[in-house]
Amino acid sequence: MRRRPGIGGLQTAAAARVWSSSSSSSPFPISSQSAQILILGFPLQDQYRLVGENVAKIRTDLMKEQLATFRSQLEDFARKHKNDIRKNPTFRAQFHEMCAKVGVDPLASNKGFWAELLGIGDFYYELGVQIVDICLATRSHNGGLINLQELCTLLCQRRKAARESVSEDDCLRAINKLKVLGSGFEVISVGKKKLVRSVPTELNKDHNEILELAQANGYVTVDEIERRFLWSSGRAVDALETLLEVSAIPSSFLPITAVPRILLKWFYFYLTMQEGLAMIDDGHKDGRRRYWFPCVSFSASVAAERP
Amino acid sequence: MQKLGDFKLPHFFNYPPYFTLQPIRDTREKQVQLWKELIIDYCKTQKVFVIGPEEEFPLFSNPVIERSLSHDAREVFLSALVQEGRAEWVDKGHKKCLILWLRIQDWADCILRFVKDNGFEDGVLTVEEIRSGIDSRGTELHGMDRTILMKALKLLEHKGKATIFKGTSADDEGVKFSA
Repeated sequence: MRRRPGIGGLQTAAAARVWSSSSSSSPFPISSQSAQILILGFPLQDQYRLVGENVAKIRTDLMKEQLATFRSQLEDFARKHKNDIRKNPTFRAQFHEMCAKVGVDPLASNKGFWAELLGIGDFYYELGVQIVDICLATRSHNGGLINLQELCTLLCQRRKAARESVSEDDCLRAINKLKVLGSGFEVISVGKKKLVRSVPTELNKDHNEILELAQANGYVTVDEIERRFLWSSGRAVDALETLLEVSAIPSSFLPITAVPRILLKWFYFYLTMQEGLAMIDDGHKDGRRRYWFPCVSFSASVAAERP
Repeated sequence: MQKLGDFKLPHFFNYPPYFTLQPIRDTREKQVQLWKELIIDYCKTQKVFVIGPEEEFPLFSNPVIERSLSHDAREVFLSALVQEGRAEWVDKGHKKCLILWLRIQDWADCILRFVKDNGFEDGVLTVEEIRSGIDSRGTELHGMDRTILMKALKLLEHKGKATIFKGTSADDEGVKFSA
């Protein structure tokens, strides 16, 4: 009795197919039996495949159609509210949120439809350049850490002429775009405040805690830190020394050609940056050394006004 | 903003650590830079020509934040100005420092302009006349420090544009300008 091609037959056929395709360049003699199985087995496999492909295609088409509809609606929406998106920071933030939810990033490319439609890529690029500029201008006063709120205020002052206000959300987005520069820009949370770091130092938990403590008076003393955190004096002094110096050069750099031309000035500055985040003060009559943190106490907005 | 007379003080003047010399090089450079500018600005607007590091000087302490510059700090800031040619120690002991908000060369140019404007070429003036005479009223020369004036005149003499000679009274000298 002749065996019909069952599971075993199919498996043999599959194996033969693999074998024959992998060695198709060299003409191997195929036994008459396996050749017969191949002839019988193929159409059946094709049928399965065809049905499967068909289902997948229908699904994809449907998905594509839905996406197209959605995209066109999102575009309509964007077109209709173009002015609101441009002028109104709250509206802009909500638009971003909506886009994020459906996985569209209007900032993904400067050349894409979104950028063309809204000019929104340019908007954040420009914002990024201005943020870099402000960080640069205030760095000698704050050591490269600036309060997000303050940054935003300075940014608004600078953009007064354009009459487009910007929100903290916009700042955050623009800073996010600046991440291509390597480990340069970062937003860190210290207590309730958000600080923008434009120096190549990674601040650890100890540093963060000290910065948070400094927010109360603008300064800390070694005694205060030890009492508050129950640290050994070595630990407190170590952390403070680092904050005074802050000159670590980041380990990973992008090749210099990857840096947009307009940011080169900043980039070189970034490489040579040595100023500390803290300043010492030995002038108090109690004789205790105070460590001041311009980023939390010395108003950079005022400092920036001075040319 | 805090003021000294009609002089507007910069913000860093109210920030205590700027009164302590900073140990970190770059931070200190920035600090020295700010102080240099402040001293020059203040002296220029208030017509101060001489600062003694050991004497009282309005910029050297800020009662509002209860801080004052240590002697070392004063010496560092003034020496930085000296290095740039914007100040000169009068004595080796560094007790007095001339603040040159105009360089000697610039003072010399001022004098030449004054001479030209008033037609004193080939004329004779006493040093005191240049400093406090009627003709110099309203010019930068009026009330200027005698030591600096003498330095400027000596520079002009060196260039052959003036001749200094002893005047009739013992403590005044005369200058003859050549056209």
